[in-house]
Amino acid sequence: MVPWLLLALPIPVLAGVDKTHGVSLSLLSRYQSPGSPSAPWTCLDGSKTISWSAVNDDYCDCPDGSDEPGTGACPNGIFYCRNEGHIGAHIPSTRVGDGLCEPECCDGSDERLGICPNVCKEVGAVYQEEQAAKRKVQSTGSKIRTLYIASAQKEKRRLEGQITTAKQEIAVREDEVARLKDILDRAESISATALEYKKQSPLYASLMEHSRALKALESEYKLHLEREKALGDILDALRLGYNPNYQDMAVLEAVRGWEALAGLPHINDVAKDDESHKQEVPSQQEQELEGEWTAEQLDKKLDSLINSDYETLLIEHDKHIGAPVSDSPLYDLTAYIPDAFLPPFEAFLQTVSSWLQSFGLTSGTTATSTDNSKARQAFNDADKNLSAVKQEQKKAEEELSHLFDPTWFGSEGEWKRLQGTCLSKDTGEYTYEVCLFDEARQKPNKGGSTQSLGKFSSWDTGAAVGSPEYYGKQHYTQGTKCWNGPMRSVTVVFSCGIENELLTVAEPEKCEYQFTATSPAVCLPLRAEEEPRDEL
Amino acid sequence: MRAFCSLLLLAAVPAVLAVKTQDFKTCSQSAFCRRGRGLSARAQEASSSWVSPYSVDASTISIAPNLASFTAAVKSSLYPDIKFGLDVRIHDDGVVRVRMDEVDGLRKRYDGAASWALVAEPELSSKIRWSVGKADVRAKYGDKKDVEVVVAFNPLRVTLLQGGKEQVVLNGKGLLHMEHFRAKENSPKEEPAGESEQVVMQVNNRAWFEGDSEDEYWEEKFGSWTDSKPKGPESLSLDISFPNHGHVYGIPQHATRLSLPTTTGENAYYSEPYRLYNADVFEYLADSPMSLYGSIPVMHAHSAGSTVAIFNAVGSETWIDVAHPSPKSTETHWISESGILDVFIMPGPTPADIFAQYTRLTGTPALPAHWALGYHQCRWNYISSNDVRDVQKRFDMEDMPVDVFWLDIEYAEEHKYFIWDKKNFPDPVDMMHDVEDIGRKMVVIIDPHLKRTDNYPVYQEANERGLLVKSADGEKDYEGWCWSGSSAWIDFFNPNSWDWWKTLFKTLPQGDRWSWTDSTIDTYIWNDMNEPSVFNGPEISMPRDNVHHGGWEHRDIHNINGMLLHNLTSQAVMTRTDPPRRPFVLTRSFYAGSQRFGAMWTGDNLGTWEHMAAGVRMVLANNIGGFSFAGSDVGGFFGNPDSEMLVRWYQVGIFSPFFRAHAHIDTKRREPYLLDEPYKSIIRNVLRMRYSMLPVWYTAFRETSVTGLPVLRPHYVAFPHDEAGFAIDDQFFVGSSGLLVKPIVEKGATHTTVYLPEDQVYYDYFTHDVHRGASKGKSVTIQADLHKTPLLIRGGSIVPTRERPRRSSPLMKYDPFTLRIALSNQDVAHGELYLDDGETYSHRDGHFVWREFIAEKTEKKSKAVRISSRNLAAQKPGEAVDGVALTKYDGSNDFAKSMADVRVERVVIFGAATKPASVKMGDSELQWEYTQGVAASDKREGMASVLVIKDPGVSITSDWEIVVQA
Repeated sequence: MVPWLLLALPIPVLAGVDKTHGVSLSLLSRYQSPGSPSAPWTCLDGSKTISWSAVNDDYCDCPDGSDEPGTGACPNGIFYCRNEGHIGAHIPSTRVGDGLCEPECCDGSDERLGICPNVCKEVGAVYQEEQAAKRKVQSTGSKIRTLYIASAQKEKRRLEGQITTAKQEIAVREDEVARLKDILDRAESISATALEYKKQSPLYASLMEHSRALKALESEYKLHLEREKALGDILDALRLGYNPNYQDMAVLEAVRGWEALAGLPHINDVAKDDESHKQEVPSQQEQELEGEWTAEQLDKKLDSLINSDYETLLIEHDKHIGAPVSDSPLYDLTAYIPDAFLPPFEAFLQTVSSWLQSFGLTSGTTATSTDNSKARQAFNDADKNLSAVKQEQKKAEEELSHLFDPTWFGSEGEWKRLQGTCLSKDTGEYTYEVCLFDEARQKPNKGGSTQSLGKFSSWDTGAAVGSPEYYGKQHYTQGTKCWNGPMRSVTVVFSCGIENELLTVAEPEKCEYQFTATSPAVCLPLRAEEEPRDEL
Repeated sequence: MRAFCSLLLLAAVPAVLAVKTQDFKTCSQSAFCRRGRGLSARAQEASSSWVSPYSVDASTISIAPNLASFTAAVKSSLYPDIKFGLDVRIHDDGVVRVRMDEVDGLRKRYDGAASWALVAEPELSSKIRWSVGKADVRAKYGDKKDVEVVVAFNPLRVTLLQGGKEQVVLNGKGLLHMEHFRAKENSPKEEPAGESEQVVMQVNNRAWFEGDSEDEYWEEKFGSWTDSKPKGPESLSLDISFPNHGHVYGIPQHATRLSLPTTTGENAYYSEPYRLYNADVFEYLADSPMSLYGSIPVMHAHSAGSTVAIFNAVGSETWIDVAHPSPKSTETHWISESGILDVFIMPGPTPADIFAQYTRLTGTPALPAHWALGYHQCRWNYISSNDVRDVQKRFDMEDMPVDVFWLDIEYAEEHKYFIWDKKNFPDPVDMMHDVEDIGRKMVVIIDPHLKRTDNYPVYQEANERGLLVKSADGEKDYEGWCWSGSSAWIDFFNPNSWDWWKTLFKTLPQGDRWSWTDSTIDTYIWNDMNEPSVFNGPEISMPRDNVHHGGWEHRDIHNINGMLLHNLTSQAVMTRTDPPRRPFVLTRSFYAGSQRFGAMWTGDNLGTWEHMAAGVRMVLANNIGGFSFAGSDVGGFFGNPDSEMLVRWYQVGIFSPFFRAHAHIDTKRREPYLLDEPYKSIIRNVLRMRYSMLPVWYTAFRETSVTGLPVLRPHYVAFPHDEAGFAIDDQFFVGSSGLLVKPIVEKGATHTTVYLPEDQVYYDYFTHDVHRGASKGKSVTIQADLHKTPLLIRGGSIVPTRERPRRSSPLMKYDPFTLRIALSNQDVAHGELYLDDGETYSHRDGHFVWREFIAEKTEKKSKAVRISSRNLAAQKPGEAVDGVALTKYDGSNDFAKSMADVRVERVVIFGAATKPASVKMGDSELQWEYTQGVAASDKREGMASVLVIKDPGVSITSDWEIVVQA
């Protein structure tokens, strides 16, 4: 056994901790001395009664940590530093006595005496300055915001005016369309039978078959073009964004294959010194047949070809051929009349025909068709115009409904002014851009295709609709899909600023971007007590 | 258009989330492994008529004067003209080293593996004597003269016996074969070697042994790669048997059970041999003998009677077959591509002896910096200095402790390591200072591949100095593909690279030499991809015919390669300051001896329950391999674990020596502050638990740094005589602390069973429930709801903790201690605590505190218990610290003085028999509180009695006694 004399003397408990040290002002009354150190004191949650001497003795007695407001003994306590000359602050008790001077406690009370200096005066001054600067920005920003709101009001009036005008115009145009329709119907009912007959021509039938085939081919062709483009985009993205984290040489092979096919230079190639491996772009030009359409023609003229007015063509065709191809049984009678009687019959026919014409019962085939197509043209034009005006009205109504919709431009319409405003940031490799309420994009600075990072989808869905926090974030979603990842998306975090400006761009998770931006649109008016003094 | 169609088809093939086995060789795809397995198949077939062709020429035996070492010539009856030399030595601790090499051959076999692994040239015994007989050479030694080494002449056979029982036998099965160097014969036949008549017609009197074809001697193809094999066949086959041991462990790194399942014989668990060929295996399998990132060719063989081990010091690719001809015996077959035979036989006979013998050879694990045992937060990638600041802020807001923030490869401009991407990290030093302000550190990745570009000073300097690995022609720098695109690799086998590499890490300008002035002395290093990983190389690594310094082929040194980078980086970080400070360097690739240089992790695991369980076993296997400072990525590198899995993974992590969370760039962020309740609070408590136990971990690390006993101890190490525990690898002890952990690695668990190996009381750490084991072993059920890791304290242990949560471990430096005393069923307990400044080497000058806590009866029949604190450092100064045997301990050293005010704030005693009449220190009564419960010495179960002594007012550094009077 070790002789007692050799044992070190028990070391003193952390001396000089006042019983109210670290106690929040509102709780001071609960830490009044009950008179003697051995007097009972009850933990704030009522779970346990200890002696008064156990308060702030650097040993945790109470489950709620309330017996140690001024030490780090309890893991779950709260320490209050008064910070006289500045603003008092609460910190977790886990930071009391850890050797670091907490910035929140400018009075240094979180550490033992003499470790942390009291810097509240300096800290307070800096704080006041910062607050003043912040208020100034907010005040200026909120004035700009007021202008935005006024602009929204103006826009509202403009849209309302537009809607009224459109409504009037629609009424007028609807009458016009009805009138023209009537004329057309009458004209068409006369020529319908004739036309139907003509349509039975094998040439016309074949033409229609060609037309249908061409239409089908065109849509097929477009589909393939789109797929080719999409595939090219995917492979471009693979080539540029290819990340060998899967250590997959198959991917490298795919990239190389694409480069060879698309005639792109090798990117980051191991064998880049080996010029002999460079492949000529295989010539894809094939021999053109004479008169065959070029790709450009296909691109530009195919549509108009397919959209030809075949009925008009049919009629034109008759005219062109010139032969009085009879399209009425009346004209066919010659076939049944004996040759001897022909001359007198034709004379008779002439008479009857002109007689009929003069009564408006029949008409010269060509003339009838022309009238008919003119009437159709007039009707079509009028109908198109009517639709356009209706479209205008619908658009204006939609815009009007978004204007003060809190899920769109804000309940005061403060964001309307910024619709389509594009903010951008050059990060070196890329320029990032967000066009508000439209789309966010990533444009490579050294060439390559622009990627959509998403279209505007919503404000911060985590906050209550219409609250200030709600307008703190915008989400852009459904951008181009990442290779081996999700569809790109952006969250734009707004803070109050005088300018509309994109500050930072980050990609904290693959293909999920975070932008920070400033805008006056989030600068709410200062509350009365916050008003900067120079404004008072 | 056709091209597009086929590409579309490719895109439609679903990605399979699994290893690409076709990227890696099987034994049958590797010529020398095929030859080795062919050899053993022929031996199997020949059965008892099989005789090894190798024999010792007794007339050539030459015994060193006064040393236990002899050499002799060895002949192979297959090639009478080829000369081999044998060299057998016994070290002063009884370890036997057997070496064999070809003598006067056409070329030299690589013999440098051991020199990289060994910490020093071992001392040979001057006491042990060889005696030469007619048929063998023998030596007897050991305290009881019960260890004997017998080297039989014909055939050559080396046996270690203990108490007359065979422990280890080399070439007992006659599979020894050293393929000698030969000249390439210009084959007259042009047609591919098939069933060519000519070959068969020649009488091949070696076919019984070698087979009848020259199987890819001079060239080998794998996938699109061709290995030119200019040296021809040079493989080495050796059988090592453990005739009286039914369990073998070790040879990390494999994702397998700890007690290695069989690969040959009836009902073999695996069909492939265990492979050691350091490789970057993408999405590796959770149960497979495939190669992984590191290789430690050390195998323990264990039985209730004894433990022995071998260390096969070979640096080339090695395949190992394991078979149990009977449940009580083991046969292994080692097939290596090149190098000399250099096997160390460790006689044990206890696991503790094995660890002492092995770490005497290759070194004990370095004592890590104290902060390195805290929590490491990593992700690929924190993308900017502001991102790092934000992550730190969020941890602090949630009051979650963390010590280290990590930066993966994206910090580096174009993956040029050391060079900051200034667009995202404009102010790296300021960022680090912001982290350091809270007592934290940063770890930044530095990989061994250098981007081949003129604007990269590190590459430029390496290139100018000729420090790069060469391609097969030995002239041109090897060029391969890695993160940085077209890359070159530093050849650390070139001694000229060493000082150059160390200079790079200096934080102050070094004249015209480049150095990392954009870093601080609290910036530590992570070495990844050092297998080496080469994306476009064979098996995702370097071609084997690449040439290193000294003309050695990459095949000769492949498995050692990764350790050299780790070694040099560790030295660089240590010596960038004067005086040096403890380095922290994490490595992915490793070899025997890597434990001296820092920590390792189990590489790119998957976020699955299966991998979580595999990680526990792999970390245990690494501890067996002498490399305790190990962990697996918490959360799993790949994938998005759900909250439950993440909680369980943190519970695994806090009981790993190295504790880091990491995530792939494609994963969602999963820092613990992002979780919803209750998961967030559970993980906060889990993190705080790790921090409260840092004294336990640090004390365990001191122990391994001195004795080699691992930090995590599986049952066969802790209870070597308890047969029922030999296969257990899902629960383990932490150091000598008495803490027994069984991490939950399955979904939805509410309970688990824990095996108790002895007739002793174990206490649930959280509920204080008493569980009683039995001398034959007993399984008990432990509650394991999500918030609770099954953790028991073994009766008889005293566990020191610090229970004040702080933001980082350095902020705990002066926090008081709690002592948990878990009384044994004999009412005694014992525990240890080691403390030092945690970052310098001043402990080697005696600046540390090493205490022992004891609870015992005041007198034999007394019911009173005395608790005392004693100075262990003064009792055993010579065993206190690593690297130096102090002769005395000065209790008033600087460190001890600085800790003099640090108190024991609380003593908690579990299992006291009755409510105390008094608890006194000297004459003064202390404050205490007693909760009725079960006594340790009872037979009952239920909640233990708990006695809490409040603030005894004693220093952690001084001697004291408290008496609990019943």
